[in-house]
Amino acid sequence: MNAAAWTCLLLPLASTVLITLGGTRISRRLAGYISTATTMGAFVAAVVAFVQLLGKDADDRIHLTTSWTWLSAGPYHFGFTLLTDQLSVVMMLVVAGVGSLIVAYSVGYMDGDDEERRYFAYMSLFVFSMLLLVQGGNLLLLLAGWGMVGLSSYLLIGYHQDRPSAVAAAKKAFVMNAFGDATMALALFLLIAHTGKLGYADVFALSPHGGTVANLIALGLLGGAVAKSAQLPLHTWLPDAMEGPTPVSALIHAATMVTAGVYLIVRCHPLFENAYVIEDLAAGLGAATLLMAGLIALVQTDIKRVIAYSTMSQIGYMFVGAGLGAYPNGMFHLMTHAFFKALLFMAAGLAIHAVVGEQDIRKLAGIGKLMPFTKIVFLIGSLALVGVFPFAGFFSKDSILAAALAHGWYGDVIFAAGIVGTFLTGVYAFRLFFIVFTGEPSAFAREHFHAHHGKEGPLSMRWTVGVLAALSVIGGFLQFAPFWHPLSTWLEPVAAPIAEPSNAQEWLASGVALAVGLSGVWLAWAIYSANRIKAPAPVKLFERKFYWDELYDLAWYRSSDLVTRGLSTIVERPLIAGSMSAVSGAFGLGSRELSVAQNGLVRTYALALASGLAVLTVVFLAAR
Amino acid sequence: MRGPDIQWYVILSAILFSVGALGVMLRRSPLIILLSVEIMLNSANLLLIAFSRLHGREDGQIFAISVMAVAASEVVVGLGMIVALGRRNIDLDVDKLRTLRG
Repeated sequence: MNAAAWTCLLLPLASTVLITLGGTRISRRLAGYISTATTMGAFVAAVVAFVQLLGKDADDRIHLTTSWTWLSAGPYHFGFTLLTDQLSVVMMLVVAGVGSLIVAYSVGYMDGDDEERRYFAYMSLFVFSMLLLVQGGNLLLLLAGWGMVGLSSYLLIGYHQDRPSAVAAAKKAFVMNAFGDATMALALFLLIAHTGKLGYADVFALSPHGGTVANLIALGLLGGAVAKSAQLPLHTWLPDAMEGPTPVSALIHAATMVTAGVYLIVRCHPLFENAYVIEDLAAGLGAATLLMAGLIALVQTDIKRVIAYSTMSQIGYMFVGAGLGAYPNGMFHLMTHAFFKALLFMAAGLAIHAVVGEQDIRKLAGIGKLMPFTKIVFLIGSLALVGVFPFAGFFSKDSILAAALAHGWYGDVIFAAGIVGTFLTGVYAFRLFFIVFTGEPSAFAREHFHAHHGKEGPLSMRWTVGVLAALSVIGGFLQFAPFWHPLSTWLEPVAAPIAEPSNAQEWLASGVALAVGLSGVWLAWAIYSANRIKAPAPVKLFERKFYWDELYDLAWYRSSDLVTRGLSTIVERPLIAGSMSAVSGAFGLGSRELSVAQNGLVRTYALALASGLAVLTVVFLAAR
Repeated sequence: MRGPDIQWYVILSAILFSVGALGVMLRRSPLIILLSVEIMLNSANLLLIAFSRLHGREDGQIFAISVMAVAASEVVVGLGMIVALGRRNIDLDVDKLRTLRG
């Protein structure tokens, strides 16, 4: 078990080190193969760990191994501890499994780029960081992984470092994530102050129940989760992060890293249960985000940005699930979302790759006719996203909505938001599908489309997309709450749900969500495919993304700019610069006056020397 | 100690030093100034050697030798400059060479 966990964690790190140190001795293609092979190796190790856990009794599945004491500070000791339990094994499987598919896809997608080695080194670094995040056995290691996924996300968003917009997007993502890291660190400080420990079990047992401190701890953790998962109000970095290469968007900004916030809430659920106000706040933020992101996605014109907003919206559902205490449902949606969202991004990547980097849906319009395979997989992904039976999203999203029904009036409000969100999902997902993949190809698409040896893309890109499409179809059958629920049973010992919907609520939620989602799809079809309804003019509020960027610009940039300007005119120029020029002026004047003594006559100097000597002699004699 | 008492040496040295110092301060020819500096240096050498003999130790003499070495190199530089001045037909008068002034 330990061997498997360590192998899983260290293989991607080994790949990073190897590619980095190998430099040009490793061919670009080999770097891709090394990265793919190690990520797949990590997946195999995760499967081995999972099988070993399966072989144990249900209450003997939590394994904590401390390898060495990592940090010691006074009475506090924090070990380098790996935790292998039901929850971390699920995350390991998702991260390494989806990760290896996406890295394999990258081999084809990045082919011919100038700096593939750097790309694959970063990718492996990301997989390592994400595995450290989920496998870390205490909150300190979790925070370390948290920071490192932020770093690798920064590096990969800014991968095209010659593009100013990519560099700006990377900086934005890093700063917003650093804000979350800071609130999380503050929560850890509080935990250390009140419990002296950071191991999960110790912290859960010792941390205060209720009260301001418990609320502050949960709020700090929620800040980290919100920043990492791009939820309100720290969400503005995710759409800009689409500047990174498409596989990066699929891996980091859809399948794994952005769902880390959900993992955090589920992992630390006892801390959130001690502060139920904050837990409700998490669900509320999730509901607000899923509505807002759905509305913005309606009017975006960049294919990747639409999918990015849909990611925000879907993570909103996960936050609803985790915040309402339906932890297994949140984790289940995390898993199916990893499948179908990675699929959507990678299918979009196939289209983008085929037209050499164009992402505007108006230019891509009708490309489905030229790319039938891509059209089918994108359709599968969209159906899974909307939650149409029997695709994956149907099972996972609807069980979250059912959990909302089992949570009193607050849950009912959130349920309503979720249902509206489902309608929006149907509209924006199929607006994208109908515009890009149906109808006659646009002049641009016809002109710029170039097939890859008669196929729609390299083999590595096609088979990985195929696997994910299959997973998006069958993945949902893992759990169908009214009949069978192996995932909930599996997660029971580490994340026992506090909201368990009845079967009637499950059926109701599924029925309503399916009907509403399909009506959204119908509306999209009527507007964008059948032209029965005239497309409404885009709403300015949605196009400007609810003015969040402008708000932050006003609140942080302009206000500090104003303060700086004020300080500059009141303090800097008169006081500091003024005193400096006075001092230098005094010295200048003095030296000009003194320079008269330097008259160039050697005899004067000699006289000065002699008289100085004489004075010194007299002084010494007198002093004696 | 044979020879005159130490006072005589000191007095002679003081006279030589004063002669040299006055020469530096009063004369205008760089050549004479250079000679005067040599006189000052040698007055110091005389004192060094006299006290060295008085105390029966050699360090003063060694020091005198190094002063001579310095004096010799100084003469080389000084004479070189004077020759260079002469070649350019510049007046050998230090009061006229006052380009370096504040």
